[in-house]
Amino acid sequence: MKLPLSGLCPLLLSTVMCVTFVGCNVVRITLNTPLTQDDVAFIVPGQTTLADVITMLGTPDSITDSHTGVVATYRFLDMKYSRVNFGWLLRPWSPVDPDLIISRTGFGADAFELLCDSDWVVTHRSFLRHVSGPRFNPYPF
Amino acid sequence: MIFRRSLLLMLLAILLQGCAFSRGTLGDDIRSEAVAAIKKATTTKAEVLSLLGAPDRLLQVNGRDVFQYYRYDAKAGSLLLIIINFSRLSIKSDDLFVILNREGIVEDVISSKRTDGLEFRFWPFGE
Repeated sequence: MKLPLSGLCPLLLSTVMCVTFVGCNVVRITLNTPLTQDDVAFIVPGQTTLADVITMLGTPDSITDSHTGVVATYRFLDMKYSRVNFGWLLRPWSPVDPDLIISRTGFGADAFELLCDSDWVVTHRSFLRHVSGPRFNPYPF
Repeated sequence: MIFRRSLLLMLLAILLQGCAFSRGTLGDDIRSEAVAAIKKATTTKAEVLSLLGAPDRLLQVNGRDVFQYYRYDAKAGSLLLIIINFSRLSIKSDDLFVILNREGIVEDVISSKRTDGLEFRFWPFGE
């Protein structure tokens, strides 16, 4: 029996979808709220105090001492992980559970640091590693 | 009526199957009333210790002693469908810094409670 083209399209589409997403895992881990350049644009070195920053951004994750003043650090993380197990395709026909996995993890780890003088006025501000946000992409090669 | 209820229950059972919720915490809750009881230029180091206990970290900053208290809260939600799984883990912290002057009197109190807005989420895309 020959399937009409209109009936074949949804079947083909659903098969392609199932094959594409088979055994997929999409995981995201976030630590604190990631900060952007816009979030810290209000900080003017030499004018803004640590109290002003705390009012806007909350408490830093750590405060440490240095020879020239105090270092306040805000840490955040946005990790994205995706994984596809193509072995799932063979599971209905295989006596064992075969695995053919490709996966990739992207860490958008970063920290925002403030250097304050002895009067708690911000003298310098900078992101530790300003990495672009990771993407969900299971292709590791 | 019974048919509708059964249908609703069945729908709920279908929607909730394959869901997982997990939670993890590190450290004790920083009590808001204890933080509110600390008064600048009045409360002593001993009173801070009796209110909050020993600090998680003791720092020397700018010639002052700083007591740091923290607590982490993690909430994870997973939607485990047969062919595709979505998971999201969100971690936030509550932090409290009590800055003491050389005489052992509280000079400043810095605190924030980020965990109040922490929700269970399973959708990994977007913000």
